[in-house]
Amino acid sequence: MLNFPAWKVILILIVLVWGALMAIPNAFTDGFLGVEPREPQSDAPQDIAAYEAQMDAAEESWWPGFLPTNKVNLGLDLQGGVYLLTQIDPAEVAANRLETLQTDIVQALNRDPLIQRDVPEQQGTTLPIQLRNPEDMEEALRRLRRINPTIGATGSDRVLSIERVGPQRIMVSVSEDAQQALAADAQGTMITIIRRRLDPDGVSEVSITPQGDTRIVIEAPGEADPRRIKNILGQAGRLTFNMANMDQSAVNAAQATRPPPGFELLVDEFGRPMLVNRTPVVTGSDIASASQGRNPDDNSPAVDFRLNGTGAERFGQTTANNRGQIFAIVLDGTIMSAPRINEPIWGGNVQITGQFTLDEAQDLADIIEAGELPAKLNFIEERTVGPGLGADSIAAGTNASLIGLALVGVFMIIAYGLIGSFAVGSLLANIVLILGALSGLGATLTLPGIAGIVLTIGMAVDANVIVFERIREEQRNGRSPTTAVIAGYERALSTILDANITTFIAAAILYLLGSGPVKGFAVTLAIGIVTSVFTAFVVTRWFTAMWLRLARPRKLSI
Amino acid sequence: MLLQYWPNNTNVRFMSFRLPALLFSAILIAASFALIFTKGMNFGIDFAGGSVIEIEQPEGVQEEDVREVMGGLGLGEVGVNAARGTGVEAIEVIVIRFATQPAEPGMDQDTAQQQANDRVRAALAEAFPGLNVRSSAAVGPKVSGELLRSGLMALAVALALMMAYISVRFQWKYALGAVAALFHDVIITMGMFSLTQFEFNLSTIAALLTIVGYSMNDTVIVFDRVREEARKYKKMEPDKVIDLAVNQTLSRTLLTSGTTLLALFSIYLFGGTVLSGMSFALIFGVIIGTYSSVFVASSVLLLLGLDQGEKQRREVEGFQGV
Repeated sequence: MLNFPAWKVILILIVLVWGALMAIPNAFTDGFLGVEPREPQSDAPQDIAAYEAQMDAAEESWWPGFLPTNKVNLGLDLQGGVYLLTQIDPAEVAANRLETLQTDIVQALNRDPLIQRDVPEQQGTTLPIQLRNPEDMEEALRRLRRINPTIGATGSDRVLSIERVGPQRIMVSVSEDAQQALAADAQGTMITIIRRRLDPDGVSEVSITPQGDTRIVIEAPGEADPRRIKNILGQAGRLTFNMANMDQSAVNAAQATRPPPGFELLVDEFGRPMLVNRTPVVTGSDIASASQGRNPDDNSPAVDFRLNGTGAERFGQTTANNRGQIFAIVLDGTIMSAPRINEPIWGGNVQITGQFTLDEAQDLADIIEAGELPAKLNFIEERTVGPGLGADSIAAGTNASLIGLALVGVFMIIAYGLIGSFAVGSLLANIVLILGALSGLGATLTLPGIAGIVLTIGMAVDANVIVFERIREEQRNGRSPTTAVIAGYERALSTILDANITTFIAAAILYLLGSGPVKGFAVTLAIGIVTSVFTAFVVTRWFTAMWLRLARPRKLSI
Repeated sequence: MLLQYWPNNTNVRFMSFRLPALLFSAILIAASFALIFTKGMNFGIDFAGGSVIEIEQPEGVQEEDVREVMGGLGLGEVGVNAARGTGVEAIEVIVIRFATQPAEPGMDQDTAQQQANDRVRAALAEAFPGLNVRSSAAVGPKVSGELLRSGLMALAVALALMMAYISVRFQWKYALGAVAALFHDVIITMGMFSLTQFEFNLSTIAALLTIVGYSMNDTVIVFDRVREEARKYKKMEPDKVIDLAVNQTLSRTLLTSGTTLLALFSIYLFGGTVLSGMSFALIFGVIIGTYSSVFVASSVLLLLGLDQGEKQRREVEGFQGV
């Protein structure tokens, strides 16, 4: 128990030095470590100045490149930022999918012989189809089955359920199971699109992660206002160019009864209703790029975009055939603008003008370029911490840790004297190891996580105390200091393990079932348990062994 | 040092108090249940849904001014309270709370809650230019329901695993005693939260789980000694064996509780308002957990009957010699 051969000492030293090296970067600024600093949080002069100072420091840094520079990841509650939980509605994904499939369905049924009676109207996730003749039933079912796509690229399940519900009636629908599968399939696509929208340049630290099959978590450190993110992500971004009809009598007729088949009634930004052809000329997938631009007439912000080859061709052809007509640029069911076609537009360069601010135009360009979301994102949970509160929390947490450490240290020395100070030494080693492990593992430190560290400080001495109490007893039973220490450690070991394993179980459950900040608490608690057993049982024992060998005390004063 | 003056052989007859202690605990548990079911818990938005927005109090702006802005938004009852913010320096903040919002047609309540939050932020930004929003949170009823379920689930799983672990390492009687103590701690701490109407939220669940771990830790140490002494003194009366074990571990129990409480009080006093609920739960739980590992766990073990010298699981020898 007190025998520490060289290899053991070296191992202990390696662990301690490793911990210290991993922990040290936390004490310094990015600039000092030669790391490129984070983007300034705002355009405020003091933030820019701080950023530039760090950049300069980074260039002059002498910090050796082989030493670690990783710091503890701070949770959003400490560094400030926005957390958003979003929900994908499977029924909406399914309805949107069905809507895009509708063109194929209509086309398939319109081929000779024409077997549907009129253009079917979609109702949510179902599409009833009325046939002209009952004899066409088999042919209609065959055609529909042939165009029924699989869910995802590799799956064998089909998107549509095709059922015969009457002699002349077929019901095409998306089943509950298929809806769930479609939503799960859409999740990955949505994550890609969300990233392109929020982080078009690929520089920000925003994290976008799936949760379950139908949820996506968005964490944006440094962001102070969730409304901007909600705006950018709140729209599906379904952009289409459709031919439109502003003719007053047709619009009035449609308002009085219902729009003619294949048309819908939409409103433009001035509230003027118009009839829009449901079948788009150009869709989001025809757009090659979008950017913020300027309206040449009055220099107001606008959105420019360029169509790809086939899109430009189709758009040019349509504009050539429909001179003098109106076409509508529709975004998520609202007409963005509805210009009259004065001459054919070849080349595929189009501009949307409107009442945009510069930022709105930029965001809209990002949205359009990122592409259409398979469904709208529903926000169901938001947690935002401003930078001020984050900084205050770090300060309060650090204070509480230092005060807690000092109180526990003084208490241990008062209670146990010299051998208590060994425990304090290993307590310090413990804190260094916790910080080192957090940095090395890339774990996230949250405010409850800091509470976990402070709690560990209080509980870490427990293992020491158990050993010391055993030593006291053994000495009372007449053993010499050395044998008392040996017996104390030997007999305390299984107690210490039993006691700590139970707390570790609690921490593990918290980690698995907890979320966000609470997870951070579980991480520090779990790491703290492992390091405190190591420091109490190995490091303190090593200190004690060295002291026993050097001082050869005749009695332990504990 | 000072501990040298701690009496070497305390001989408190803990087990002679077992009936009054069990009665006392039973009353506390009954009172806690009564409180939980009548007065209820003050669930935070994590579990009840709703919004909390904390703003730095702008100069010359009073609670009434904020209340007036909120009044025009049609959010139902809105709580507006001045408070002291987390932090080293005292910051005056105003905390705005409102409950789950009714959904408009075609929209679920969770989304309605988010929109209400955004409306409040927009109205505040307009009314008080340059306003510093310290934090804002909006949790829809679907999410809060799930959080509550998974929180209670975590507690149940923790208790089950603890019981399994103790059954394997000790004996089922020890496991029952330990788990009785855990239930005791969790229920009375929840009763305390109901009585004080401190906010019960996700960090409280984390605190409860930590209390479970801590109380278990304490109980294991006492039981470890009980098992050891029971084997050593086969002829001794069971209550004497337990008393001996509790007395032998008494200084450790008090010392560890002492250092843990020192650390927790420093979080409670200096860790800011965000952590005060959590540290309050932990402080209360450590005290009640220390009490229960002596009086509840050991008393239940004694009631079930202590086995001395029969075939017991031997300590796992492989742990030795690290």
